[in-house]
Amino acid sequence: MIQFITRRMITLVGQVLLVATIVFLMLRLVPGDPARSVLGETASEEQIATMRHKLGIDRPVWEQYVDWLGNAVRGDLGTSIISGRDISSDIASRFGNSAELIVISVVLSLIIAIPLGTIAALKRNQFIDVALSSIAMLGLSLPGFVVGTVLVLLFGLKWRILPQSRFVEFGDDPMAHIKLLILPSITLAIGNAAVILRMMRSSMLEVLRQDYVRTARAKGLNEARVVRAHTLRNAINPVVSLVGLEVATLLGGMVIVEQIFNWPGLSTLLMSGVISRDYPVVQGVVLVIAIVTIIVNVIVDITYALLDPRIRLT
Amino acid sequence: MTSTPFKLTRRGFTAVGALAAGGILVPSASARPRITFPRLAQDTPKAGGTMIYGLSTDPSNFEPHVSTGAASTSVKLMCYSTLLTYNADNELIGDLAEEFGWIDDTTYQLKIREGVTFHDGSSLTVDDVIFSLERIRNPDTAATNASYFNEVTDIKAGDGNTVNLTFNRPFAAFSFILANTNSYILSQAWIESGVDPKVEMMGTGPFIFKERVPGVSITLEKNPNYFLEGLPYLDGITYQPMPDDTTRMTALRSGSVDFADYVPYTQMDIITNDPNLTFASDSISGFGWVGFNHEMDPVSDVNVRLAFAHGMNRETMVTTAFAGHGAPITGGLIPEGMLGYAPDLEGTFAGDYEKAKSLLDTAGHNPLDIDMVSTSTYSVIQRPAEAAQAELENAGINAKLELQEWLTFRQTVLDGTFPTHSWGTAIDYGDPDFLWNYMHSTGNMAKQFRFNNPDMDALLEQGRFETDEALRDEIYQEVQVKAAEVVPWVYSIRRTQGEAMQNFVMGYTHLPSWNPITMREIWLDK
Repeated sequence: MIQFITRRMITLVGQVLLVATIVFLMLRLVPGDPARSVLGETASEEQIATMRHKLGIDRPVWEQYVDWLGNAVRGDLGTSIISGRDISSDIASRFGNSAELIVISVVLSLIIAIPLGTIAALKRNQFIDVALSSIAMLGLSLPGFVVGTVLVLLFGLKWRILPQSRFVEFGDDPMAHIKLLILPSITLAIGNAAVILRMMRSSMLEVLRQDYVRTARAKGLNEARVVRAHTLRNAINPVVSLVGLEVATLLGGMVIVEQIFNWPGLSTLLMSGVISRDYPVVQGVVLVIAIVTIIVNVIVDITYALLDPRIRLT
Repeated sequence: MTSTPFKLTRRGFTAVGALAAGGILVPSASARPRITFPRLAQDTPKAGGTMIYGLSTDPSNFEPHVSTGAASTSVKLMCYSTLLTYNADNELIGDLAEEFGWIDDTTYQLKIREGVTFHDGSSLTVDDVIFSLERIRNPDTAATNASYFNEVTDIKAGDGNTVNLTFNRPFAAFSFILANTNSYILSQAWIESGVDPKVEMMGTGPFIFKERVPGVSITLEKNPNYFLEGLPYLDGITYQPMPDDTTRMTALRSGSVDFADYVPYTQMDIITNDPNLTFASDSISGFGWVGFNHEMDPVSDVNVRLAFAHGMNRETMVTTAFAGHGAPITGGLIPEGMLGYAPDLEGTFAGDYEKAKSLLDTAGHNPLDIDMVSTSTYSVIQRPAEAAQAELENAGINAKLELQEWLTFRQTVLDGTFPTHSWGTAIDYGDPDFLWNYMHSTGNMAKQFRFNNPDMDALLEQGRFETDEALRDEIYQEVQVKAAEVVPWVYSIRRTQGEAMQNFVMGYTHLPSWNPITMREIWLDK
């Protein structure tokens, strides 16, 4: 296990370097000038040239790359072209907010989807299976911005149970923070739960057809024990893999939910960086997302091994 | 030289009657622009309370001399002050300048208010004013207003707390530049201490910058030593960035925020009909256009450009693009009430498809298939672009519209790879000199249009450097007549833009110049 983790950490360096290089180069291929973004639409060409020089983006690309990479290795992601703020501290505060939302929504979706997916599989083609599959389909079909907006209108405006308000840190006001967390978590969990439910159902159906399940039943084990001890544990591996992918995707990809619920996460930072061509911000955020994605995948592999002793991490 | 409180009362201004100095005043019935004022406070203003402000964008930064958008302006203007500003009637008045004006044809004098202190307790001096104006002029600052100082040859202290700016030629619109929200006065010592003004703010404004949590809030507290006695009434303002329109409007309607800027057109009727809310807006400043690359065929032919101008029914476009929340521009771009308004031009471009087709025939391009580029980033630009596309089809112009992300679009227009584009912005300041940017060959937008017309240049130069307001009025009317002939660009519709607030928010007036200075007069009636 330790060997496995060490090897993965070594390859992580290569993978992150590759991602960082690709992002660095691709950003510079995208049309649109950061200097124009800083100065606004009426800036003259002379002012644009002055600003490009000030920002150091008129230097050769390789020179910019070497500088940026050298600083990044030392843990300095630089300052934002647009806001002038330290990128590392901005990422740190946003990362915590995103991680919190992701973890809670994923846990919520697992709590909903694993039992329901199991029930749907056990009641295959019966009313409850059809009903659950239909609900899952609905959850999959409804985009996050629709679910989020409807929740805001209902809970924030009509019933005024969870009105939109200023983001507060958990440490400053735990109750207010938890109230803020409810609607975005539900919005994210609905989509995730639908995917996991369908995966759980199909995975369970696959396992239920296996010989050892038939043998377990033939031995006279009751159905609950068959499901718990022989089926569920074997059916859950694809779900673990799916959750790993979801976490990585959500980290940089929940901009709509963050915007609707005014949640200051990593996605909105990334999005504003892309829109304003704030190169250092985009590079920094992508770097962090790449590292986290790889780490999450390692954790997924380890979880596999823990769940299924037949898997050896070598 | 005038004294506070001013209208700018020089001879020329009175010559054009109700124009006054603010430039944009009462809207015309024909153009249907609308200024909606919130209820006027009947009672004595109450001091105290913190206002929660739903801000449409998280300000990119606080650099005082570079425009970073309307949302950041409403924050910066509460911390910094300008030399001149506007009163609630949109008239130009002194702010840090007690008196201001031309003392001869080439000398503009400012008498600086005494006893003003910065938030750090230091006193405002003439040197701070000179430093700030020089900072705007300095190319390294890349200041938004730098080009307006091109005619300035010298800035130095005069007698009795005054600052004199010497010009090569008189620049008639200069007062508007000093009232502009990118002309803040800074503390020289503070800037030279090495602070980053992108991240911090320290000025002489009604509120003191306390804290910014990116994406979460910006907190301002009352400046107890503000130079205007009794102001501000509020103890503070907390800005909460809410970029999602629905979220921001929902927060306002549910009472989570007291005030919200940029009401999207889709919510204007809802907000207006809400008995707890007040909507303050105008349909004057924001406008859209179809622009050309004059070096590309077939739009290098004036008949083709005229076909565009005649081929759009603007009334229909206002309905299509903004559900009626706007106003058509059927004559010149200068709105009624501003110097240079040309009433005779009204109705010139009411929408005449047959005339447009006939012009295309003359140009040998009927029907015309043409590429047009616009942006999908801002609905206030995308919607008029789509409305223009639909209208032009009636006139035999089949515009193939490509929507690009904002900075990509900006680069495309700059590169001139499309013959036409659809864009929108706002009138920069309340003097017709704003047209320079779009129609003078040295104007930044005109350069992007590749538009160069010596006659137009001469007219705009006459207007900029003429001191007689009656003459200027005539010159700018002529500019618009010329524009209707040579069609540098085709302006189409104005959009309604405004802020909404709870009924207990008193004292705020939406100015058509979009200067949010009256926020310093807000008080909460609760």
